[in-house]
Amino acid sequence: METQLVLEKWPGVVSTVVIGAKKEAGGSRGNTVTIGGQNSLPLLFKEGAIPHKPIIAFEIWDIAPQDWPDELISAYGKAINDPLAWAEKCVNEFKAELLCVKMQGTHPDFGNKSPEKAAKFISLLLSKVRVPLIIIGSGDDAKDNLILPACSEAARGERCLIGCAVQDNYKTLVASVLADGHSIIAESPIDINIAKQLNILISDMGLSLERIVINPTIGALGYGLEYAYSIMERARLAALSGDKTLASPFICFIGQEAWKSKEARVSVEQGIIWEALTATSLIQSGTDLLIMRHPQAAQKVNNYIENLFKDKE
Amino acid sequence: MALSGLDIYKLLPKTNCRQCGFATCLAFAMQLAKKTVAIEKCPFISPEAKSILEAQALPAIKLITLGSQESKFDIGNETVMFRHEEKFRNPAGVGFIIEDGLSDTEIRERLRKINQLKFERVGQQLSVNLVALKQNKDASRYLEAVKLLLDNTTLPMMLMSKDLAALKQAVIISQERKPLLYSAQQENFAQIGALAKEFQLPLVVMAQDIDQLRRLTKELNGLGVNELILDTGIKPLADKIWDLTQLRRQALKRSNRALGYPTLAIVEQTDPYLEAMEAGAYIAKYAGLVLIKGWSSWEVLSILTLRQNIYTDPQKPLQIDPKLYSVGQVNRDSPVLVTTNFSLSYYTVLGEVEASKIPAYILSVDTQGMSVLTAWAAEKFNAEAITKSLETCGVKEVIRHKDLIIPGYVTMISGDLQDQSGFRIIVGPKEAAGIPAFLKKLN
Amino acid sequence: MQKFKVTFLPDHLTITAEKDSSILTAAISAGIYLNSNCAGDGTCGGCKVIVNQGQVKSQPNGIITAQEKKNNLYLACLTAIQSDLEILIPDSSRMDKDIQTDNLGGDATIEPGDTLGKNFGLCFDIGTTTISGQLVNLNSKKILGTKTAYNRQAAFGSDVITRIVYAAKTGGLEKLHNALSGTMNQIIRELVSEHKVDLNAVNCIVCSGNTTMMHLLLSLDPAHIRRQPYVPPANFPSVLRAAEAGIQISPQGLLSCVPGVSGYLGGDAIAGVLSSGIYQKEETCILIDIGTNGEIVLGNRDFLVACAGSAGPAFEGSGVTSGMRASSGAIQKVSINKNDFSVKYSTIQDKIPRGICGSGYIDLLSEMLTSGIIDKSGKIKVTGKRIRSSDNGREFVVCFKEEIRAQADIVINEADIENLKRSKGAIYSACAILVKHLALEFSAISKIFIAGGFGTYLDIEKAIRIGLLPDLERSKFIFIGNSSLAGSREILLSSQAQAMAEALALKITYFELSMDSDYMEEYSQALFFPHTDLTKFPTVKF
Repeated sequence: METQLVLEKWPGVVSTVVIGAKKEAGGSRGNTVTIGGQNSLPLLFKEGAIPHKPIIAFEIWDIAPQDWPDELISAYGKAINDPLAWAEKCVNEFKAELLCVKMQGTHPDFGNKSPEKAAKFISLLLSKVRVPLIIIGSGDDAKDNLILPACSEAARGERCLIGCAVQDNYKTLVASVLADGHSIIAESPIDINIAKQLNILISDMGLSLERIVINPTIGALGYGLEYAYSIMERARLAALSGDKTLASPFICFIGQEAWKSKEARVSVEQGIIWEALTATSLIQSGTDLLIMRHPQAAQKVNNYIENLFKDKE
Repeated sequence: MALSGLDIYKLLPKTNCRQCGFATCLAFAMQLAKKTVAIEKCPFISPEAKSILEAQALPAIKLITLGSQESKFDIGNETVMFRHEEKFRNPAGVGFIIEDGLSDTEIRERLRKINQLKFERVGQQLSVNLVALKQNKDASRYLEAVKLLLDNTTLPMMLMSKDLAALKQAVIISQERKPLLYSAQQENFAQIGALAKEFQLPLVVMAQDIDQLRRLTKELNGLGVNELILDTGIKPLADKIWDLTQLRRQALKRSNRALGYPTLAIVEQTDPYLEAMEAGAYIAKYAGLVLIKGWSSWEVLSILTLRQNIYTDPQKPLQIDPKLYSVGQVNRDSPVLVTTNFSLSYYTVLGEVEASKIPAYILSVDTQGMSVLTAWAAEKFNAEAITKSLETCGVKEVIRHKDLIIPGYVTMISGDLQDQSGFRIIVGPKEAAGIPAFLKKLN
Repeated sequence: MQKFKVTFLPDHLTITAEKDSSILTAAISAGIYLNSNCAGDGTCGGCKVIVNQGQVKSQPNGIITAQEKKNNLYLACLTAIQSDLEILIPDSSRMDKDIQTDNLGGDATIEPGDTLGKNFGLCFDIGTTTISGQLVNLNSKKILGTKTAYNRQAAFGSDVITRIVYAAKTGGLEKLHNALSGTMNQIIRELVSEHKVDLNAVNCIVCSGNTTMMHLLLSLDPAHIRRQPYVPPANFPSVLRAAEAGIQISPQGLLSCVPGVSGYLGGDAIAGVLSSGIYQKEETCILIDIGTNGEIVLGNRDFLVACAGSAGPAFEGSGVTSGMRASSGAIQKVSINKNDFSVKYSTIQDKIPRGICGSGYIDLLSEMLTSGIIDKSGKIKVTGKRIRSSDNGREFVVCFKEEIRAQADIVINEADIENLKRSKGAIYSACAILVKHLALEFSAISKIFIAGGFGTYLDIEKAIRIGLLPDLERSKFIFIGNSSLAGSREILLSSQAQAMAEALALKITYFELSMDSDYMEEYSQALFFPHTDLTKFPTVKF
């Protein structure tokens, strides 16, 4: 009597989101990035379709970061002082296929750059590098409501991913994203209900669920990683069971969290492993996009992803 | 299939006599369903009901104890596929494989380093669990290496060998440590099974194919060997994750007794980063025991931290020691912030205070691990509790001023707290992220 | 201590009060009850009074505006007496003293004053927010009359927890007891006077209420009700002389309390189980009390489980801007035109609208959702002549003051919606958690009994639409009015009913929701209209 395998058959599927637009689609990117589309739990290839790999985006800022640890800054060298050079280094030297730019310089406490200047920067960035772009605000809601629409407009046609919309402040961003053809990052504070509600409210405004990516708000390894991990597992199970309101791909800000930890600052190896293991643990819970900071951590994680997906595509 | 509370209730006397310690039979039944209480507590249960309930109380995945005396540890007895369904119970063991081909000095040095792999995080002790000795050389070398292990570490052991005679000798000298034997396979299960039975030792069963594994465990059960751990061998990462998932499902969803044992995974990577990432994946996905080769402190800390995270009980938050913590070069004029003893609350505040670069004190109040708002609603983070904490920690003696910064979300306690504690209450930001700017303004 | 004379207008009551004591305290001593949802902390703004003459000293607060200050408006709770005073009390600051002759559900008939009968009894439902009393002829078993009034304890806090905290203060327990017995005695006096019954012929009174109310009635310390492990000192108070509880009926008259199960599940829930009869039914039924404590009982003749959802008084009209009890002039039905947002409404007894009661709010929220005025999280998302901003978020005008000839518009603002959303979320999730713990589905429930004092009727469709009630076949819902009162009446009339009530109290398994980790999850999900999980409400379409 042979052992009958326990195979799940899921009625639901995660939506597919494309970031970046090439010339034929009205943009000017050299490549596009596609995420989502799974019909199986993370990494269970034998049970359903997992058509796309998790993708790593390198995180850059529109200004030189002031308080990043030395191990991180030295990985980029002088380039880190010039956002455009930094972006180019990520793409040319470190082979980034996706960039995530945080508009930190627009924050009232960190430069208070105007929407016009922000828009100009985005245009310049788009002309310097040809990879798809994720654009993140500085986190100051009032300012982001001025900055992000300006950046969204400057990037019109490039099918970017813009964020983050939160429960108390999403309408402005949704309107811009709708108007300019981008996708949106919907952020919730480690709360699966708020994630659902926000998705419902956003789609009630007319943005299709295929243009939403969920940021569950992670904690780094050792700093509450398990909260986001479990939220993601639950949400993914719901999505596969047919809940369309949670059937969005995930984005996790790995570098930002991992390098806050004191462990990451002990030695360069520990810093890299801290970021890498945070990343791969969240791949296990289903993340589709990983925003990373250290190029070596990104390389290790990429290696890991390649191993996983070898012969599976 | 697990019985629900209502199903169990139907098997009980329904007299609500309260002898079990619960107010009603239904309340008792709900606890029985959660397996938090023993059926014996009911003096009036019928024999039929008792046998039904006992059958369903057996663990789907056997509990296996490894090692002996102080360093022994348990794996198995897992009840859920996802930690959020309830919790993962017995943290995966993390062990190291040493080969007998290394020199005596190398082995001693390796063991010395492994013995030092102890860390403290968030108030918990993180340590490694096992050392495995693999035979590559002849029997006499193997035996020497076993002796080195016995003399240089108290950690539980795993003996990995294909040479039955060498294995037997190794078992004889190490039997008091109750070593785990690796491994029973199609070719040798009868002999190694007999060895395990004779010395009452747990045994790893290895087969690439799940069906083969099931047949082997059945044979071993037939020989009276029940302390088993399952291994599907070295495979690519995705396939291994599939195997581990499948085995957990077989035990939990099919009640497949032949596969109702904890699992083991060996990581074969030379790059320590890849090794840690792979070990992490196995720990998250169901392995009861994970074996690696690397022993550097930074790598092992990351793996043990991941294990700590995955095995945290989602319903019982991690707590820290409630006391007065100093951050940076504090002095008697440094500000004092108060928060709960929920790890995440504390560490979030800590992180922001550190980021502000302003030295400060953080008073952590015992709220039994509840976060700020939850604790306030439960009256554990109110004027009385904070005043008591200020007194117990002698905050007045440590600082010159009398200001206390409270989280913005509990501004409603300011008046009472000021009255009771005698401190001047300053309402801080609602979100920890506002702390750096807030402290700067305060200065 | 220096004493001053404080005269309250328009009541023309003068009282002596000590210097530095608050105007609120003086008012209560004079028998005048002002609003104080916050128990005198100075945060609810309900106790505004006008100081016509005299000196006062007031604490700073964020409530009184500059304009109001110019008009001599003060918060009575934060204002200390400094000389003889003349105080004018605006109507809006007064707690509703309305005493109604409502017949709240049940199918008994009303006897026109049988004054020759010598054996009468009373049954009372002592709610946190509303108290109902019924006078019954014990010989004929007929109901003579029913009256309801707002529980005067509201002066010390609108919810049970605030009152328990107040009881711990010096003299607090006594004040709370007096407010309660005062309200009850007044109801009793009015009932006997109206039906020309001699008070000496009223021989017994059965009281049904939540555990906190029972403690306060019997002057027992309720402190332990809210601390772990939630063991109150008395779950089965025995029968005693009514006079010992401060209740004025026949001097030898007896008072008994319907037994409760736990800190939050009191005799009122037991009485509800009794009167709805779910303990006798073969099919699984659920009893939902849409009241302040939101008690839910699920079961049948084989098992009974219960919990209390702590819904708050919003559905009884308390704590919401234009809220009022379900009495004359309360808006109880609303419809809104999708195109121009114009409002049609009807009120209890068709009187001029004075405010909105519970059923009115259910209708209003449902209509605002359907017409697109609010989104699923309860935020107002449109503009128009009825929509404007206020201190409590945006507000929607239900009735303009001109059309109802009042001082103020009848409105609902985003803070009210948030409040109502939490109330309905608490009730729905309390039902859901019981169903979940028993590994059942809502579809397994055959009958849903709805009890509560929020109105004389309930629009089931709209209650489902906003997610207050589960989405089930409409024919399964039965509205039974005040089941606590009906149940206490049964106990008054039958010793078998009394015995059954005691048996039920022992049999019901109570789930303490605050220690239930799954409950928080259900509650969070229910904080959306109708629910975060839209698949639970398949018949609700947008």
